[in-house]
Amino acid sequence: MKALCWEGVGKLKVRDVPEPRVRAAGDIIVRVRASSVCGSDLHLINGFIPAMREGDILGHEFTGEVVEVGPGVRRLAVGDRVVVGSVVACGGCWYCRTEQYSLCDNSNPQPVFAEKLWGHSPAGIVGYSHAAGGYSGSHAEYVRVPFGDVGAFKVPDGVPDDAVVFASDAMPTGWMAADFCGLTGGEVVAVWGAGGVGQMAARAAQLLGAERVIMVDRLPERLAVAADRLGVETVNYADTDVLEALREMTAGRGPDACIDAVGMESHDVGPGYAYDKAKQTARLQTDRPTCVRQAIMAARKGGTVSIVGVYAGLVDKFPLGAAMNKALVLRMGQMHAQRYIPMLLDRLAAGEIDPGYLATHPLPLDQGARGYEIFEKKEDGCLRTVLHPA
Amino acid sequence: MRSNATRLALVGAATVTAVGVGRAVTRRRRRHQPQREDGWYVVRRAVTVDRPVAAVISFWTERERLDRALAEWATLEQIDGNRWRCVSRDPDTGATEWRAEITVTGPGRLRWQVTGGPEQQGTVELVPAPQGRGTEIRAELRYRSGPLRRALGLAAGDEPDLRLRDTLRRVKSLIECGQLIDTRRDPSGRSPAQERRTDEIRQRLTTGGRA
Repeated sequence: MKALCWEGVGKLKVRDVPEPRVRAAGDIIVRVRASSVCGSDLHLINGFIPAMREGDILGHEFTGEVVEVGPGVRRLAVGDRVVVGSVVACGGCWYCRTEQYSLCDNSNPQPVFAEKLWGHSPAGIVGYSHAAGGYSGSHAEYVRVPFGDVGAFKVPDGVPDDAVVFASDAMPTGWMAADFCGLTGGEVVAVWGAGGVGQMAARAAQLLGAERVIMVDRLPERLAVAADRLGVETVNYADTDVLEALREMTAGRGPDACIDAVGMESHDVGPGYAYDKAKQTARLQTDRPTCVRQAIMAARKGGTVSIVGVYAGLVDKFPLGAAMNKALVLRMGQMHAQRYIPMLLDRLAAGEIDPGYLATHPLPLDQGARGYEIFEKKEDGCLRTVLHPA
Repeated sequence: MRSNATRLALVGAATVTAVGVGRAVTRRRRRHQPQREDGWYVVRRAVTVDRPVAAVISFWTERERLDRALAEWATLEQIDGNRWRCVSRDPDTGATEWRAEITVTGPGRLRWQVTGGPEQQGTVELVPAPQGRGTEIRAELRYRSGPLRRALGLAAGDEPDLRLRDTLRRVKSLIECGQLIDTRRDPSGRSPAQERRTDEIRQRLTTGGRA
């Protein structure tokens, strides 16, 4: 079968690879119908998340059709159309049983690296380096999904592939970001990053009761799409002082909750950014924490900072003093896909959330490398490239 | 030209630094060494399994499930009421690695001793975890080794302490989700040589992991 493989930092190539087989009783094999690129793939491609190996198949946000099931699979059958959560969860450990799926104890078979870096290993993630288990990714014609009963969900009729594909990662990540904010109704929420996850976080915040959502980005076309589709207010940090703007927009209070939907490769303007970038390039820090710094400084006293943008290791100049003295609540984590997906599929079917507009660049798998280039350089108003193997 | 006093000060500072760093390194190394008792290395490792003690015990007493769990890496046969014989095999070659005798010493407690193979013995104890978090499987392992052999073993990924951690992780996974996840032999665009190299890295990222 054909698959999009990582061939070294910044290099991708479509290769012929063997097809996956059922290896354990709970496995299913999915014929991929749509597989989206994701901002976190860029960290892998650019070598910021370690333990990538030449030949690894990328892709972790996908939907498709079940073509084979292991003998232990109960909920699914061949022919089912499914969407699969990006994090692999066993369903049987304490974390899974308490719906904290991205912290699963048993789904990363290669935990040593994560344990050295983070103290403990969280769940494995499909197509996400050998530090996250070494699973083959979904930018391929077929993919093996372990614990199929836990991780794959039947897609409601009538929802197109290019919309439901985002129920795999962008929607649950966005939802969890808003869920972290503990909204009770009427809040002002600021979201850094108007990409797929940020826009889904903004929509989730609205559905959970936020009165106003303000999105921060530097790309006018992304902010325009967000304003148009979601009715959010926008701040362009390329020409506006974000902290001043947010303070004025909230009459001095600051947003009740700030969501970082950007992560370790965030951009900014000015000499501070150049310094951060130089440090990261020289590996003196692994992550550029521009957004999270701003979020902490912007949040109202006693407010919440919710981090779903991915960070890998160590950051410089983290304003812990601001967080402490303003009594902020910091919530963060990889998303618990399996907790949110059934609810999100209901909302998708009901038309409450319509992520289909994120799929600006549907492309055949053969053009995967070009698809990532369009996505990374944000060419042509690209929000997401979605690859179609068939 | 520096004066003798300057030279002396520099040598003094360098000596103090070297001694300080040396002591810090030694202390750190000592912290990472397991306890020694009468020539034995003693390591204690534990894992929490999200099942009540009775369920953990029944996992080992249900013969069919146990055989499936041990599958390719060991066989177990009962000698009498409280004693069992375990034969460990290398899953790749099928060759016998060691034989051990296991004695059940009480409810949720057992003792084992390797009878044919490296000099090792140990105990396993099942203790209810707080907050209804299941069972703590606490294992103590005693083995003969030396600092150099242990260091080489740790570097090569072949050391009883690492094996114990792997075993506990395996046991936890088998009880909690009925399988061990394995991503080797999943599709990739690698050549056979690249795949072998990647398997070595997988092994390094697996060996001694704690879950």
